[in-house]
Amino acid sequence: MNDYSFNILEELAMSDKIEGVKKLFTSKSARVETNRGDAYYEQLFQKCQARIEELKTLQPVNNRLEISDVLETHGIERRDFLKWASAVTGMLMLPASFTPLVADAALMMNRAPVIWLELSDCAGNSEALLRSDGPKIDEIVLDIISLEFHETLQAAAGHQAEKQLEEAMETFKDKYLLFVEGAVPMGNNGTFGTIGASGETMYDHLVRVSKHAAAVVAVGSCATFGGVPAASPNPTGAVGVMDVIQGKPLINIPACPANPANMVGVIIHYILTGQVPELDSLLRPKFAFGYRIHDNCERRAHFDAGEFVEEWGDEGAKNNFCLYKVGCKGPMTFNNCSIVRYNEGVNWPVGVGRGCIGCSEPDFWDKYAYERPMADAHIKAPTGGVEKTVDEFGLGLLTAAGIGIGIHAAASIAAGKKEEAGE
Amino acid sequence: MITKQLIEHIEGEASVYFDMDGKKVDFATVVFPHFRGMESFLEKKNALDALVITPRVCGICGHAHLMATVRALEDAYKNGGYEVIPTQKANTIREFTLVMEMIQNHFKWLYMVIMPELSKLIDKPFTQKPLKGAYASSLASKAIALFGGQWPHSSYMIVGGVTCDPTYMEILQATSFVEELVKFFEKECLGVSLENFLAFESCKDFQGVESDIATLEATLIDLDMQKKGFAHDRFLVLGTHNFSSIGKLKGTRTFHVDPKFVTTIQAYTPHEKTYAYNALYKDEYYETGSLARMISSNESIVKNMHRRYKDSAYSRVMARIFELALLLQHGRSILNTLDVTQDSVVKVEDIHNITAKGIGVVEAPRGPLVHEISLKNGLIESYKIITPTQFNIGSSTREKPTPVQKAMQGISKDEAEFIFRTFDVCSVCTTH
Repeated sequence: MNDYSFNILEELAMSDKIEGVKKLFTSKSARVETNRGDAYYEQLFQKCQARIEELKTLQPVNNRLEISDVLETHGIERRDFLKWASAVTGMLMLPASFTPLVADAALMMNRAPVIWLELSDCAGNSEALLRSDGPKIDEIVLDIISLEFHETLQAAAGHQAEKQLEEAMETFKDKYLLFVEGAVPMGNNGTFGTIGASGETMYDHLVRVSKHAAAVVAVGSCATFGGVPAASPNPTGAVGVMDVIQGKPLINIPACPANPANMVGVIIHYILTGQVPELDSLLRPKFAFGYRIHDNCERRAHFDAGEFVEEWGDEGAKNNFCLYKVGCKGPMTFNNCSIVRYNEGVNWPVGVGRGCIGCSEPDFWDKYAYERPMADAHIKAPTGGVEKTVDEFGLGLLTAAGIGIGIHAAASIAAGKKEEAGE
Repeated sequence: MITKQLIEHIEGEASVYFDMDGKKVDFATVVFPHFRGMESFLEKKNALDALVITPRVCGICGHAHLMATVRALEDAYKNGGYEVIPTQKANTIREFTLVMEMIQNHFKWLYMVIMPELSKLIDKPFTQKPLKGAYASSLASKAIALFGGQWPHSSYMIVGGVTCDPTYMEILQATSFVEELVKFFEKECLGVSLENFLAFESCKDFQGVESDIATLEATLIDLDMQKKGFAHDRFLVLGTHNFSSIGKLKGTRTFHVDPKFVTTIQAYTPHEKTYAYNALYKDEYYETGSLARMISSNESIVKNMHRRYKDSAYSRVMARIFELALLLQHGRSILNTLDVTQDSVVKVEDIHNITAKGIGVVEAPRGPLVHEISLKNGLIESYKIITPTQFNIGSSTREKPTPVQKAMQGISKDEAEFIFRTFDVCSVCTTH
């Protein structure tokens, strides 16, 4: 046993640290209810079933293809499709009995109009969506999700595109899901970002298009928390969607880029239930952000054993030890990367020995960045004080959501998302 | 009469103001209406934070930004008296992932920009599956993820090497993705084998072949694109790699280059505010990207094409397709040279002991990407990013047009919009 693991055990023995651990694992936003009892699921099942039946009577949006035909054309067998549906059911934290309903919901995806807006960003989330897993890209973008208006992807351009947007907004008034990628630059009267032939500011554009949306989904860290454009000194006054849009159901899917699996998950959930999924205090769906990177990390055993990468390329690195000491923010980052991974499940940052940068938490660009160990990141822990070293660390962890509560509680109440009393 | 045309269907958004002379474009200026201020928020931060922040400049070439940052930092180490020499293994992995990023970019551009835009000019669809290029792109990004953890926005390159330590398993998986890509390219795009295509003497060899690329080539000729879209016939390649050969070319003459002669000036846009700066080399505008790289590395098919059709829209598009083939072959071959027993990263001095300037230059999909960094005790004093689109798609005066401005003159507005996209525009990079 090396010195560090010894120290950690010693620290763990300290009673206040144990209290810290208890606090962390019993705090509301760090807990996901995965079993709500038979009665609850029975009722939900019937509700979803009724909704799917109702959707079946509707015509696909814009004469979109029937998904079953598309799957067949692409040689995707029913068996593979159901395998995918059962994975999504698991991701949404529903019992396995919901799998046929989730499969049905996926088949109804062409009934859900989606409008996608790109504001101040790098287009990275659209790029990520383009390699969305499950049904392949052609189906997802063109056929399955009825992506009514996407400024980067769609074929029309300029005035024609603007006309299409108007049409989509009118035809699907109060029914469309509005996905927003990118931050909203508010500085200098919003002139750091204008959009469309009329030179409308991004803020005005967002307000106008969100007015008749059924719900707004902010995708990626820029749209949720302002993201990298909001990094100090925030020259463009960039803010997230939830800071400017109120009185609408709002869902945040942060991370840079946001994981396509979570975008698809939100849409399926909406089709299935007609509602936004259960959200945490930062308006993130709990099915994806209800646990920390650290909880399911493939290197977790090394953390528990006190085996750390001390510096890049050392023996620890060669043996896939825990990356905490070289700056991994997994213990304070809520996201499901460690389970769904990226690029159709091929890999994720921890898999290449890089550590998590906490990209789904607010202000990661200023506070969490790279090689600064969490202890030196000057983030105030809820238990008080700034963590100093890994040896003091002893799991007296903060939850990043905890910090967010103070800042964003107002926004979340205004957005009508106060679904769990006491949060 | 001046008309404003919004250009979407590119990375981000841009507007072009056309000054028309009858039905022909007399002159055009380009506006990029977005601004984020990337350089300003890098200031005063720990220099290693740049490895996390700069890849987020761009959603399609973030990897090139990461590599430019790591090169700039390593150059600063060298200038500060602590030279860093990464192992061959680290260099090879960096190059492999960069090549894969170019491949995913070229596929997307081809199938999601060029073919649909060309369809509009001939008023009929090009391929039944306009998004099939995205399948190829996803294969390339999976190959990146094996070493980089994710794509877009990976940060696995660090000063001294890379964080990943691949085994033969990852190399095998990467090889399988590359082979699948080659198969896709041959079967779904080219209609001939990669080897045969690389042995083509000219694009006439496409005759008799039925494929997306053969149709594209024929359509470009039908539309006289070999006679349109000429820029200055001056090219610039600045990034040093095993797949490129640096130099400045005027016509076919090659000159020595040094990135220190790259400068920027505020773009000229009389009709609307822009946040863009134009990039120049020794006060002249140069075209960058695939065509420049192919001519600079003396690829015979592209040299022949250039001799006949100069720097026309045709040459620009076909050079990219040829580069795609070469990059696939290169990516395949460098995987075989990976020696997994070497170290992934070498030990380097603490960043806080570094006070120096550094410059990092890489070839991104659209051309040279330059990062200039100035460090004081490991903190960033200043950071400057110059992107390829700033070379190609600057907006200057009538007397001194940029490559894209020159290429859009004297043709119809519809053609000009297509030719604008042959440069592959990245608006998010341009204004960063």
